[in-house]
Amino acid sequence: MTVIPKKSIPFRLNMVSRRTEALFHLILGLFALACIIPFIFVIIISFSSEDSIRQIGYSFVPNAWSLAAYNQVFNLGDALWRSYFNSFLITIVGTLASVTMCVLYAYPLYRKDYKYRGFFSFLSFFTMIFGGGLIPTYIVCKNLLGMSNNYAALIVPMLVSPFNIIIMRTFFQTSVPFDLIEAATIDGSGEYTTLTRIILPIVKPGIATVALLTALAYWNEWFLCLLYVTKRELYPLQYLLMEMQRNAEFLARNSSMIGASGASAIQALPSQTMRMAVVVFIVLPIACAYPFFQRYVVAGLTIGSVKG
Amino acid sequence: MKKFLALILAAVMLLSLVPAMADSPVEITMLLEGNNVTDDAAVLEKLNAYLTEKIGVTLKPTWGTWGNFDQLAQDAVNTGSDEYDILFTCSWTANEYASYAKKGAYVRLDDPADNLLADYGAELKTVLPELLFEGAMTEGPDGEKGIYAVPGFKDFATMNTWDINVTLLEKYGYTLDDVKNAGFYGWGDIFAKVKAGEEADGKVFYPFIFEGAVAERFVDGTPIVTGDANSLLSYYMNTEDVSVPGAYGNVIFNKYATPEFEKFARQMREYYLAGYIDPAIAIGETATDAWRNAQNTANYLISSEVSLYGYEYTTSEARGIQVAYLMTTDAPYIDNTSVQGAMMAISANSAHPVEAMKFLNLLNTDPYVMTLLNYGVEGIHYTLNAEGEVEFNADARATYSPWTNGLGNVTLLPPQKGQGADFQKRFAEFYAGSKKLPIYGFTFDSKPVETEIAAVTNIKEAYALSLFTGAVDVDTALPELLSKLENAGMQKIVDEANRQLKAFLGE
Repeated sequence: MTVIPKKSIPFRLNMVSRRTEALFHLILGLFALACIIPFIFVIIISFSSEDSIRQIGYSFVPNAWSLAAYNQVFNLGDALWRSYFNSFLITIVGTLASVTMCVLYAYPLYRKDYKYRGFFSFLSFFTMIFGGGLIPTYIVCKNLLGMSNNYAALIVPMLVSPFNIIIMRTFFQTSVPFDLIEAATIDGSGEYTTLTRIILPIVKPGIATVALLTALAYWNEWFLCLLYVTKRELYPLQYLLMEMQRNAEFLARNSSMIGASGASAIQALPSQTMRMAVVVFIVLPIACAYPFFQRYVVAGLTIGSVKG
Repeated sequence: MKKFLALILAAVMLLSLVPAMADSPVEITMLLEGNNVTDDAAVLEKLNAYLTEKIGVTLKPTWGTWGNFDQLAQDAVNTGSDEYDILFTCSWTANEYASYAKKGAYVRLDDPADNLLADYGAELKTVLPELLFEGAMTEGPDGEKGIYAVPGFKDFATMNTWDINVTLLEKYGYTLDDVKNAGFYGWGDIFAKVKAGEEADGKVFYPFIFEGAVAERFVDGTPIVTGDANSLLSYYMNTEDVSVPGAYGNVIFNKYATPEFEKFARQMREYYLAGYIDPAIAIGETATDAWRNAQNTANYLISSEVSLYGYEYTTSEARGIQVAYLMTTDAPYIDNTSVQGAMMAISANSAHPVEAMKFLNLLNTDPYVMTLLNYGVEGIHYTLNAEGEVEFNADARATYSPWTNGLGNVTLLPPQKGQGADFQKRFAEFYAGSKKLPIYGFTFDSKPVETEIAAVTNIKEAYALSLFTGAVDVDTALPELLSKLENAGMQKIVDEANRQLKAFLGE
């Protein structure tokens, strides 16, 4: 066993100087801090007492702590759990369906031997740049496809994402050499076997990336609910919060128009700390899911199928 | 083959039966504003049985909330959908009454060719005050004036009031008359004494918590100029008698450029510096919360409220103190904004305008229907006490709380606990005594000066609330605001408004 002398550490050769490295760490550290601080602030506000907010505003060090907000959130009872369930359902079903579609669309686009790939690439790319606009989309979804007050309205409009398809196609192109498919064919593998047994395991990191993006999009979606859903049983958690927020904003803007009868409406609104507590409820599950996806995302950057 | 023919014949016969089933009730869909309803099954079951028997319709309400109504209404109208037969509309939602009537979104109810109001709303015409229909007259797509929605019979006149915490006031030996006689400019001593007394044990107490823009209206006597959505213009009314012009006559001013405004702002600054005003109401994001919070927790001495008749019962009960409302004008005044405060329009795309009109007629004239829809089912959502007053069952009410004023004729409702049996009669009489402003019916059309308004509004947003609440130094902020406004073309807006007002008054 040989000991490498300290003087010539070969694996530092390609590296930046320690000073630059320290600077990078500092910048990245500040960036990470900028990401985490707002969330910590939200948590602190959700545990602040209403009086404290009234007296000194939002603060990292409130005058008094309180669990009132969480009591209020738990008092939502069924509405809360129902929304939680909806959010999970929409996210899971939506992500599975959306990722499946994405992979199945992107795969032929990557296959050089597919005759119409130019046309289908264009078809998806075109919709990424030129949208139909809100009103036509609304008419198609609601009147033509009957997506109103059902889960479909919360899932279907986001099923196909051209952006994800392009990411996926590029991932196929960079990580799956075409020779591999030829080799598989020569070995007697049919198209389906090639896709499921050979290609998919290779592109797992790509799928994880797309799945993460899609899951986040579904989890945070509330606008579809605002457009197509008025039944409370179908509200996802994110919309439950948006509704509180929008109710409060609308009443604040129009209180002088609505007059005294609006006062009792404001009174019935959830407090600021409660809204923050709901934010905590929304962020927690997705924050917990993140590390699991992240493993693949990082792996995706370094792993290819053909070495050398 | 024969079998097949027979089948077809049977199918044809079945189909021909469909029109014969016209007796089955027509479903009317309705989009409402401001509700908190999660369970309407019990109400709809009773209501629809009654409606089917009475006028052959059933109702399917969509309980819009403050947060989603604007979007739902806009989508429905802009996509030309027939989703809703009846839409809530008014002067302050996105489907604003006058502009959407002009767009052709609503059915004209008094159309000479097809007068729904006369044919199916005769009772309605007799029950609602004529004044409401006058206020509902607006220009349609053909440029002719007509009625495009059924106005709600509610607190249709604006009642500007100071909300006084009488319990606290009396604790320090003052009476309501002291507050009244001292007036806004003379409240300093009262504030000082109450603040000192309340803060004796070391807590912070702000006696004066209000809505900035509204307080300016109260003190200066400047009602909203309809169409001036951004609080740029002032019309000075005569607070001694709101039906005659004030000292300036029928003229519109730049709200921030009058001596009255400066005097008001200086006084607010004085109160602010003395610590009488909660700083939270000077910040847009926290203002409403702070103001309502102070009221609800009875943590104030004087506050502002655009009130309604009999409101002191409700608030006194809720806050556990004695609340009084001090009107800042001699009588409630009627302007377009208040008259068009809550209305029901029939969608131009509705397949059942006649049935919709029949329903609106019944809703606004039949106490059973109105009470059921508004308060819920007796025995489930509320009970009647010995005096015939409504006592809500809190649990059931939590799942079914429509916005009372958003549903129509509130004078049909039984009184709530504490209001007294003849409440609705007194309510109607009180509003019968309200007066029309001299410029009633005038709507400022901002179209010709749109660019200037956009520029000016941005500038105003940065200063207005802090000036209204005394949070900035008047000597520096006010001249700054005025010169910026002037450079952005404020005078052009004022001139245009006055030109339109002159034309309206026929001068």
